[in-house]
Amino acid sequence: MSAAEQVTAWVRDRFGWNNVVTALSVHRVPRRGFIFYLGGITLFLLLIQIASGILLVLYYRPDADTAYASVERIVGELPYGNLIRSFHVWASDLFVVCLLAHLFTIVVRRTFRPPHELTWLSGVVALMLGIGMAFTGAILPWNEAAYTNARVGSQLARYVPLLGTGLQRFMRGGDEVTSATLGHAYGFHVAALPAAITVLVALHLFFLSRKPATVTVLAEPEPEAEPETTDGEVDAEAIAKTAEANAKVEVARAALLRDTIPLYPDFFVRLALPITGVLVLIMTLAVFADRPLGAAADPALASVGTRPPWYLLPVHELVRLAPKELLGIDGARFLVGAASLLGLFAAALPFIDRRGSKITAYVAWSLLLVLIILATLALN
Amino acid sequence: MPSARAVPGDPVGATSASAAGASSAAPQTSATGRALPSPIDATNTCAACHSTLTDAKLRAPAKEFSTSVHRDDRIGCVGCHGGDARDPTAGAHSKTMGFRPHPTSAEVPGICGGCHSDAGFMRRLNGRLGVGQAALYGLSLHGRLNAAGDPMAPNCATCHGKHEILPPASPKAPVNRANVAKLCSGCHADAKLMSKYDIATDQFSKWEKSVHGVAFAKGNPNAPTCTGCHGAHASAPPDASSVAHACGRCHQDEMGFFEQSVHSQGFRKRGIAQCVACHSNHDVAPASPQLVGTTSEAACMKCHSNDEKPRKVADDIATLLRGARDRAAEARAAVARAHDLGLHVPGAAFSLQQVTTAELKVRGVVHTLDPARVEAGVSEINSAVDATLKQVADAEKVRSLERRDYFIALALASLLFVTLALKALELERRRRQVKP
Repeated sequence: MSAAEQVTAWVRDRFGWNNVVTALSVHRVPRRGFIFYLGGITLFLLLIQIASGILLVLYYRPDADTAYASVERIVGELPYGNLIRSFHVWASDLFVVCLLAHLFTIVVRRTFRPPHELTWLSGVVALMLGIGMAFTGAILPWNEAAYTNARVGSQLARYVPLLGTGLQRFMRGGDEVTSATLGHAYGFHVAALPAAITVLVALHLFFLSRKPATVTVLAEPEPEAEPETTDGEVDAEAIAKTAEANAKVEVARAALLRDTIPLYPDFFVRLALPITGVLVLIMTLAVFADRPLGAAADPALASVGTRPPWYLLPVHELVRLAPKELLGIDGARFLVGAASLLGLFAAALPFIDRRGSKITAYVAWSLLLVLIILATLALN
Repeated sequence: MPSARAVPGDPVGATSASAAGASSAAPQTSATGRALPSPIDATNTCAACHSTLTDAKLRAPAKEFSTSVHRDDRIGCVGCHGGDARDPTAGAHSKTMGFRPHPTSAEVPGICGGCHSDAGFMRRLNGRLGVGQAALYGLSLHGRLNAAGDPMAPNCATCHGKHEILPPASPKAPVNRANVAKLCSGCHADAKLMSKYDIATDQFSKWEKSVHGVAFAKGNPNAPTCTGCHGAHASAPPDASSVAHACGRCHQDEMGFFEQSVHSQGFRKRGIAQCVACHSNHDVAPASPQLVGTTSEAACMKCHSNDEKPRKVADDIATLLRGARDRAAEARAAVARAHDLGLHVPGAAFSLQQVTTAELKVRGVVHTLDPARVEAGVSEINSAVDATLKQVADAEKVRSLERRDYFIALALASLLFVTLALKALELERRRRQVKP
């Protein structure tokens, strides 16, 4: 055996590679359908965020007086600093898009239903954490856009019923957006949220492997039954029944083999294709569609913007359009409260819609339309 | 309650002593049966009574007075008009109490100065106000004409108002800095009025279009209005010997450099107005390199069109300034171009500021009319410009390196994509070949 083969064999043995390969090969996924790759793409984007984020945090200074200057230094002075920052910013938007798309496809395909409750719940929590990471990350540059995001985004939290005021103070680290807000955002973005999201994603994958949603394990045909004999006579009927059962299994097995592919290596190789495409997309955006840093945050300026990050635009528009009062409650709080209840309802979907009714899919499409309309109104 | 200081027309202490007695008196009716002000208003019965009159001309002062800084009971109407403020009847118009309904123009400065020149009195009412206004006014041309009996000469009330005197800080006050030019032009742009004094009437229109007027209109707090150069109470046109001091109040550097130049003594000897000779007075144009040189627009050619040495100096300085202007424009264009390309050039704003600072310095040094010193200033501009251009070039280089590396990465990614696609096709082919 050559040295390379020896090393390969050693690694395979220590990592139990053959067992892993066997286990992965037994699991099969449908052969066609881009939506099955969304989860993998989202995970890849998270890894990009972690890698680029680690590089950025080496030079970032989390203080209101120095944060902007440190980002300016990263962008202007460090080799490839601007590129890595652009990567991180674009990948963050794509990450949120893929998270939402992944969740949407799960709802529309109704693969949230039992026995996949825990997979669904861990995914929903991971989604909230992912949006939290995007929100806190947008504050860190402490430029004008960051200050606007922090101010307007945390203002929306005020409308959550019961928890609103406390939630706003928690997000801001006080009553107003100050350097404490930046400190909070930094702590969450760099430590708390990445740890939590890592655990949630690990759980999500674990539950997925325990109760695969679209993955089917290749069934083995039933062993041929021993023919029953009565006083030495062969029971032809029993034999025929067993043969019929085995034939059905064989047909199902053939269909499975025809319509599905093993997780390893087929699915992973195919997954690598859109991942490569996404990587090229982010590279292109990072190089040719710059996200300028803009001016440093100046709380004294009245000209600071009024729009939150794009994924909060529907909520922002909801608050803007809310009437003064609805059923005796402040209109904005009523609507945000209703939206929050809808969110809780969505989180509890596997327990409510146990059979995965088509109505859930229709409702999901309708909600998507409403969100797009609200976001479009907010942009005008 | 009123202080013990003698209010003009009011015996010392009489107001304060009587007010206490008046406050307990019953309401009175006049001979015509009209309701009179209650004793509570006894300290300024003038305004209280006049505000009830039917004649609008007599009623207006009471209304205007309600917004005046002089509405303090310690001054009141009697402060200027005299009379008896305690008397709610027509008896308030007592000549023995010094009542004067219509002070003449010549009397007004004395009436106002009676309080405003009294430091002890003003200290109690408004310690921040100076007490030299009347004296300064007396020295001014306005004051001298007024003292000589010219009825058209402005007095205190002409500018500050009569009954509705507002503090200068109030945006509505005619003497507020924002309104001064309009106030002065009310007379000085009146051709009929100014013809008597043989004074031009185009100052305001010239000033409006000048660099000072434009800056003022944009809200620049440092831009001068009329009083900025002519003074307020001691207003006088600066003469040839003093105009540089008016300009030099703000343009100190330029004045300092000018005094080092050959023009300084030369202008003084010939009685030529220093700054005005090149920059004009009311229609000051923005300083530009065109002012210096040998072209027809150059100020130098007004006097030196036939002088060889001055022409050479003017030409040398003009060439240096043109070069500096072009280089500074080059730096600004480079930064703007970088900004349009989305390049982030750290330190560009600071570098451009250094260019601007160096340019401003050269503008001052030009007044020495010394080409060597101007050249030294221009070399500072060039250094700042070079630093800016280098920063932009570095940023552009980084951008081009990024793009080069992008295409390398794109090629590798494409190779990877093709390899993966081929592998996927191979796996698919194998899958189809495998019989269940």
